[in-house]
Amino acid sequence: MKTYLGIDVGSVSANFVLVDEAGEVLEAVYLRTRGRPLEVVQEGVAALAKTADHGAVAGVGTTGSGRVLAGLVVGADVVRNEITAHAAATARLIPGARTILEIGGQDSKLIIISPGGTVADFAMNTVCAAGTGSFLDQQAARLGIPIEEFGAIALEAQTPVRIAGRCAVFAETDMIHKQAMGYGLPEILAGLCEALVRNYLNNLGKGKDIRDKVVFQGGVAANAGMRRAFERVLKRAVHVPPHHGVMGALGAALLARAQTGPGARTGFKGFDLANRDYRTGCFNCNGCANQCEVVEITQASTVLARWGDRCGRWSRAPLVSGA
Amino acid sequence: MRLTFPHMGNLWISVKTMLDSLGAPVVCAPLTTRRTLSLGVRYAPEGACLPLKLNVGNFLEAAELGADTVIMAGGCGPCRFGYYAQVEQAVLDDLGVSLRFLVLEPPEGSARELVGRIRAITDARSWWQVLGAVRRGFVVARCLDVLERRAQSLRPREVRPGAADQALAAAEKIMAGAWSSGAAPAFRRARALLEAVAIEPERPVLRVGVVGEIFTLLEPFVNLDLMQRLGRLGVEVSRSIYLGEWINEHLFLGLYPGIHSARGVRKASLPYLGHFVGGHGQETVGSAVLFGEKKLDGVIQLLPFTCMPEIVAQHVLPSVSRDLGIPVLTLVLDEQTGDAGLTTRLEAFVDMLWGNRGGICA
Amino acid sequence: MKPVVGIPRALLYWQYFPLWQSFLEGIGVETYLSPPTGRQILQDGLAALGTDVCLPVKVAAGHLLALRDRVDLILLPRLVSAARREYACPKLMGLPDLVRHSLSLPPLLSPVIDRYRHDNWPLIRVALAVGRRVGAGLPAVLRSLARAVECYRRYLNLLQAGYFPQEAWEAAGAGQAPDPRAPAGDVVALIGHPYTVYDREINLNLLGRLERAGLSVRTAEQVPEATARRAAAALPKHLFWTAGQQAVGAAFHYLEQEGVVGMISVMSFGCGPDSMTGDLIARRARRGGIIPHLSLTLDEHAAEAGVLTRLEAFLDMVAAQRERGVVVCG
Repeated sequence: MKTYLGIDVGSVSANFVLVDEAGEVLEAVYLRTRGRPLEVVQEGVAALAKTADHGAVAGVGTTGSGRVLAGLVVGADVVRNEITAHAAATARLIPGARTILEIGGQDSKLIIISPGGTVADFAMNTVCAAGTGSFLDQQAARLGIPIEEFGAIALEAQTPVRIAGRCAVFAETDMIHKQAMGYGLPEILAGLCEALVRNYLNNLGKGKDIRDKVVFQGGVAANAGMRRAFERVLKRAVHVPPHHGVMGALGAALLARAQTGPGARTGFKGFDLANRDYRTGCFNCNGCANQCEVVEITQASTVLARWGDRCGRWSRAPLVSGA
Repeated sequence: MRLTFPHMGNLWISVKTMLDSLGAPVVCAPLTTRRTLSLGVRYAPEGACLPLKLNVGNFLEAAELGADTVIMAGGCGPCRFGYYAQVEQAVLDDLGVSLRFLVLEPPEGSARELVGRIRAITDARSWWQVLGAVRRGFVVARCLDVLERRAQSLRPREVRPGAADQALAAAEKIMAGAWSSGAAPAFRRARALLEAVAIEPERPVLRVGVVGEIFTLLEPFVNLDLMQRLGRLGVEVSRSIYLGEWINEHLFLGLYPGIHSARGVRKASLPYLGHFVGGHGQETVGSAVLFGEKKLDGVIQLLPFTCMPEIVAQHVLPSVSRDLGIPVLTLVLDEQTGDAGLTTRLEAFVDMLWGNRGGICA
Repeated sequence: MKPVVGIPRALLYWQYFPLWQSFLEGIGVETYLSPPTGRQILQDGLAALGTDVCLPVKVAAGHLLALRDRVDLILLPRLVSAARREYACPKLMGLPDLVRHSLSLPPLLSPVIDRYRHDNWPLIRVALAVGRRVGAGLPAVLRSLARAVECYRRYLNLLQAGYFPQEAWEAAGAGQAPDPRAPAGDVVALIGHPYTVYDREINLNLLGRLERAGLSVRTAEQVPEATARRAAAALPKHLFWTAGQQAVGAAFHYLEQEGVVGMISVMSFGCGPDSMTGDLIARRARRGGIIPHLSLTLDEHAAEAGVLTRLEAFLDMVAAQRERGVVVCG
């Protein structure tokens, strides 16, 4: 049986899935990135290695903000942005899906799927924290609530408190204010969910034709309070798919499957990544006043790749071994 | 007197050619970098648009190199650019940086004022010589347009990644030295470099029109090398604005014959945007309409954060997109624009356009 | 039957309402004014337009949506130029298009107001266009226009006599002659677009708060246009935004006035002209160093706490300077 590996390395979390030929998830691994994307990729692949059939992997896809790095390390057949990856997974696994709401740790996306299952339109927010999961994380931490319990508590609310502010900073100020005025915890948590949903829709929903079926995915979709807030504001049912947390990785695996047709050989470097000595380095180029921070990936003192420079002086230079 | 001027992409090559031809002493500001930006952000008004902030950064860096006089274009609104020079002068004055501004713009009072300002630059040279220098600068700008257009068609088809950009960089360097060697022979050599780039003519490419505000379109530092990125993603770029065309339109009032004029573009915008709104708002909408009619795969609109004419255009473009069936991606650029987010958006947009062609995707 | 014409209580309303109202009444048209800006209007406006649109235009979108099911037509003029060789801001010039393509609305009545080249006759043309659209005859249009212009003139006189818009247009409607009001006590100049200065919901009732602090407020519109223009001539170049002329001119004028103890520039986040004129005013105030100056930028998440803290600090500065006669600025 052929299997496909999908890896989604984001700034907050990294997800790994192994799917079979039919796209069924065989194994899924979720890890925190902790600012060390390289190590987390090695760790994740090692975790899958325990149960996986090592000879069966027929294709590998990577996605997420660390996709290039991850792709280089594992030998990916497909390196794709997370919008395309999310859409690929949803269109394939959830028949009739037309709208994807995706909220990640550091960014959020809204994707419109055409009836034919391709991306028809999308929007992405990377600037404003008030539309992302980290906003809820921070507020949960401030209130001393484990993020896992956030949703259940929010569902207890009778009426969500209105928390003003498009901006995370101002919303926090207002939340503190509402706390001081004596509102209950469930009401405040539900209010935070609604504030996030409103910010999300104000940022991304402009001019977008939101239609059924609406699918909510990404790490934040685990929060039942968020799902209810979306349903309340959008006034329609919102579906959370079973593998909502790993849809990006799943999409990457499916894209790898599409890419590696019969006869094609995968570039997968195998499950023993953890034993290889990969290193990332970083230096400031002093070639001009831009002072680009150049990233360098080495394996056993051989430079595999460099990037981060604007002018191509490093990324286009022929790679030499030894350093 | 040591003259300087603000940067906007390749504009410096053309302006320097002109000033060199006049024998005027020029101090080119270093090309715009992060340092320029941080200087501009620190000293320019917080709510000002990005080009103004970068102008201020350019002037401060030029002053460090000994410049004492700034040449600026002006305007009479309603876009903020028409008042840039006055606000910039106030910023520099308050900083104690003494730069004199010579603003070349339609005079408010008598034409003598403008003549005086030009005379301050050209010294005792005859008007004939002045015209010759202006013509030279303009010809160089036109040559640069041709080279850039060529590079835009080479990039998605090049055999060796980066070859077109290397050739373009070398070609631009030749044009920058054209004042001494003459524009025509320089242009022949420059073009030969681009023609030598090996391509795969049959490779399928996407065609995308890039529209929007001129500064964000022409300045690669601000658009994070958008044209190159698109080329690398297999996109052949068409643009609504080129330097030479802009000079013809705004400085020569569109009188120079045989050049693509904005009049037709503005006419194409009228069903959507019924009136002139300053800047390039109408050109943005009109170009998007024309690109849609030519069945390009998509349109990308660029604007600096809070750019008024482009915000009007931005809100009109969804109708153009719907009516003509052409996807539009709007990118708002400011000092916080991150590389990662831009890359993801561009790649997803390109994937979507391939999807529309019935290509890849799950 | 003549259509019901909706007027959004936003943007140009704050400047021209007496003119419009009196004219439309004169030709027998029923008007419907959107309610004062409130939470719902604000929320609808924010949801309707892009994040980088300035607050006043978003608020206007909310008002337009509030009119949607109640009127047959919406009066939303395209203000291109209110004076010779000057413009409005690009967003006002493109407003009918901007909202037409972003919101679903009843038909718009959007006459072009363009005095860039000619001073007076465009007004007649606008009046005729409106009259034609609502089915009013030529004599009625001309008669109403004359009356409306007369009423508007009275209104402007009342403003300059120290009235605020609401009371001025009530008085102007009643045909009252201006009865000059000397400011009671120390004056704080509140400089900004009428739609930010007078819309209490947007500015957290700044005007009321200043008055409650025992200060007299004077705004840009209360300076006669000619006076403002004379003062604005101190700029190095003619400013091509009419509203900017009035704001900068009034600010420069107040900076020279006896009895003006402080100045607040109220700006909208994302407003292009404000980013330039606000800077020119602040620099001038700083260079002069005579009275405290506060630049206040408002946007939809202007948390009350942040604005109020700065306002209080400003008032403390004003008070401290009055006591000591010391020069402070901010």
